[in-house]
Formats: sequence, C-alpha cells, structure tokens
Amino acid sequence: MKEVLRFENVCMRYHSKQGETVAVENLNFSVKEGEFTAIIGPSGCGKTTLLSLAAGLLKPTQGKIVTSGVSFGYMLQRDELFPWRTIEKNLYLPLEIKGTNTLEQRNKALELAEKYGLKQFLKSYPSSLSGGMRQRAALIRTLALNPDVLLLDEPFSALDYQTRLNVCNDVYKIIRQEHKTALLITHDISEAISVADTVFVLSKRPAKIVAEHSVVFLEDEPLKRRENKEFSKWFEILWGELNA
Amino acid sequence: MKNKSNFSTEHLQYLKKQRNRSILVNVVRIAFLAFLLAVWELAAALEWVNPFITSSPSRIVKTIGDLYTGGTLFYHINTTLTETLVGFFIAVVVGYSVALLLWWSELFRKISEPYLVVLNALPKIALGPLIIIWCGTGSEAIVFMTVLIGLIVAILNMLGGFMATDESKLLLLRSMGASKWQTLTKLVIPSSLPTFISMLKINVGMAWIGSIMGEYIVSKAGIGYLIVYGGQVFKLDLVMSSVLILCVLAAVMYALVALLEKLVVKNVD
Repeated sequence: MKEVLRFENVCMRYHSKQGETVAVENLNFSVKEGEFTAIIGPSGCGKTTLLSLAAGLLKPTQGKIVTSGVSFGYMLQRDELFPWRTIEKNLYLPLEIKGTNTLEQRNKALELAEKYGLKQFLKSYPSSLSGGMRQRAALIRTLALNPDVLLLDEPFSALDYQTRLNVCNDVYKIIRQEHKTALLITHDISEAISVADTVFVLSKRPAKIVAEHSVVFLEDEPLKRRENKEFSKWFEILWGELNA
Repeated sequence: MKNKSNFSTEHLQYLKKQRNRSILVNVVRIAFLAFLLAVWELAAALEWVNPFITSSPSRIVKTIGDLYTGGTLFYHINTTLTETLVGFFIAVVVGYSVALLLWWSELFRKISEPYLVVLNALPKIALGPLIIIWCGTGSEAIVFMTVLIGLIVAILNMLGGFMATDESKLLLLRSMGASKWQTLTKLVIPSSLPTFISMLKINVGMAWIGSIMGEYIVSKAGIGYLIVYGGQVFKLDLVMSSVLILCVLAAVMYALVALLEKLVVKNVD
C-alpha cells in the first residue's frame, strides 16, 4: 500500500531561556493510505509535537518528513467550535480560511452534515449541543476541506467515558465511510486498540518508536472490538511496552 | 420544558417565591431612597443641620428649576456631555487600534511595555498645566484630558483581551493555514468582544472623571465648572444639583453600554 506520510530520522528540539528540550529523537515510522494508524505514548512524550510536525506546522530540527502531496485535516482534543458562530457557520470556517467559500463547497459541507445527523442543529449555536454532537460537528468541519489524512490529537479525551466510547465509534465509522487515512495520537491504550490497523508505541521523552503492531480484528467497529477476547491480550502487550 | 399548566405546585411555589423576592428588592431600593431624601429634607427644614451647608432635596429641585428657566441648564449639560462623549470615543477608538498594533507585533509590544506601565501609573492630572498651555482654555483641553485618562486603560484592557485568545483555537486556525489577518478577524476580534464591552464600561467612568477633572482645571462652562464655581461662592445647592445631574448622566451612559452588551454578547462563551 502507498505511504502517505513518512518520518525519516526526525529530531525535534525546543529552545527556551531555561534550556533545550529534545522532544523527539530519531523517529521513523510511516502511515499507509486508507489505514487507521494509532500512536500511543506516555503523557508528556511529545505526542502533540509529532502531529504538528506531520501537519507541517513545525519544521523538524533534523531529519525529513515525506508526504506524498496529501492534504491534512486536524482534529483537536476539544471541539473548539466558535461559540459565536452557528454550527453551519462553524462548518464554513475552514472554507473561509482557504478562500474556497463557494456555493459548491458549502453545499458539500452541508451534505456531510446532513449525512451524519447534524441537519437539525445547523442553525443552533454550539452551546446548545451535547459534547458528542459538538465533537461530531468538529469532525465534519475538518472534513469540509476534504483532507486526505486526518490527524487526531486525543480527540475524545475531553469527553466523559460513556460519550467517549460512543463518539469514538461514531467518528471511526465516519472516517471509514469517507475512506480517509487517519493518524490518531492518544495515551489511551484501549482507544488505540479499538480503532487502529497499526499501532506504534512511543517511549518517554525524547520520543522514539519502541514497537509496531498490526492489529487485526474480525470486527470492524470499536465497540465490538472491545468485546473480543483478543482485546485484553492486546491491552496487556501494549501496557507492557508502554511501561517498559 | 413543561407548559405552565403542567408545572407541579412545588414549582409554582418556587416561581412565586422568586417573583416576590424581586418585588421586595425593588420596593426596598425605592423606599431606601425615599427615606434618605425625607430625612435629608426634614433635617434641613427643622434646621437640625444647616441647610446652607447641606442643601436639601427641595433646594436642589429649585436650583435645577432656576438653571432651566435661566436657560443655562442644557447649555452646561451639553458642554460636559459633548466633551465626555468625544473624549470617550477618541480614547476607545485610538486605544483599540493601538492594542491591535501591539497584538500584531510582539517586538512593538515588548518595547512599549515599560512606557505603558509608567503612563498607566502616572496621575494624569499632573499634566494639567501642560494641557492648558498646549491646548488652551477651551473644550479642547478638557477633551484632551478625557482622552489621556481613558486611553491607556483602553489599550491595556484590549491588549489583555486579545492576548487571552484561546491557544487551542489559535492552533486550530494555524492548522487550517490561516493568515495573521484571518486569525485576527475570524478569531481574535470576535472572541474579545466581552473584553471590549467591559472596556467600554470602565471607560464610561474614566470619561466622566476626565471631563469633570478637566473642567476643574480649566473651564468656562459645564457641570464640573458649576461644581467648582458653586464651591468657590459657597452655593452648595448648586454643587449638590450638579452632582445629581452627573449621577443621572453617568447612569444613562452606563445603561446604554449595558444595553449594547445585551444586544451583541450572546454567544461568546
């Protein structure tokens, strides 16, 4: 399968008056087209740095990040919907930024919203939506630009447990249905197992890849995967590696 | 939400209690004022206190009436109101613009920081003599004073609001490839709207301080002029009347800003 993103010996150092921080060192991994890749690591290991690097928001100090001309869409921990805009206007935000706010593009965004059950909320303000709905709106906003690769930065961590499982299931299905490549960064092992085709395990800072796994389940839905016997085996393996 | 007819008796009782409470608050407010005025009037009428020094409600009404029939009431009100409003708008517009510039350029922001701190701490009235010499003794001097007093406050408040823009939302816009101008117009300005309104509220107060202080230093007309004049010739009825007029004007201006707030700040957090 085609690689859409590859990190080659990537190093990232941060400079501040207090000194120098090595966030990422000698990082090598790749993301294949159409796959759901998850990266797990202990908190504070530079996960967000990694996504910023992938999205091109940061330039690596050393090494190379190869992207095969794909576009990226970013989804953050919280929905970050603008409270002064209606859901509809929030969905148009990326179009306005990219200068592609045409009727055609807007209609595409509306179609997505309709397809995924947001139609009745289009004229509402974010404050009147539940956490799950808001995160779904955030996903549609990300999809409005039709990105090839979705970068997910712990997108469910701000939700309560029940909502998290449901929204995760939801988002997973939408991403699959839209045939997107996804790179999820999380500290939640079970979340990674429930969605990913490939899981990379990061070490503590400076972050390095310590393991790579192909996670294969018969079930193709996070909630069903969680019921599978294999699930706890994977959990044990990843737990061990994360704490090594 | 249930219809009114479907409310439980408990809920109806709760609503009634809330309504009674707010009626009580309003009644006591008005009663308190009436009580104060009555005591004041009575104390002056029975000469418990010297009405020449304390004035009294009836004397205040008479003084305002005399100013009105003499044709100078609205002349003085207009003078001060114009100075206050012009000073207020200049301070707000210039302050907002400077704050935008400072937000835009970190270098500019860092360089100007000590100047802003010192200017903010400086009692602007110390510049009184300079203002008279620079701007003359007309309304310009008073407007200048009003602007001086409100400007730094406006800058510091707005800059604080701009800088408090949510980091995650900034990251979101960066990930969409937003330019600095887009970040400003789509995020920074709309999200700082509540700060803008609170800055307006603060500056209403500042503008009145500025115009009245300006009139204390140099003036031929205005409410501040009446206060100073009344004090100098020991016409304390005039001083009290002027203060009362000021109270009403300031309250109306504040209420207008509060109304603006209700209209525009609906959906910012």
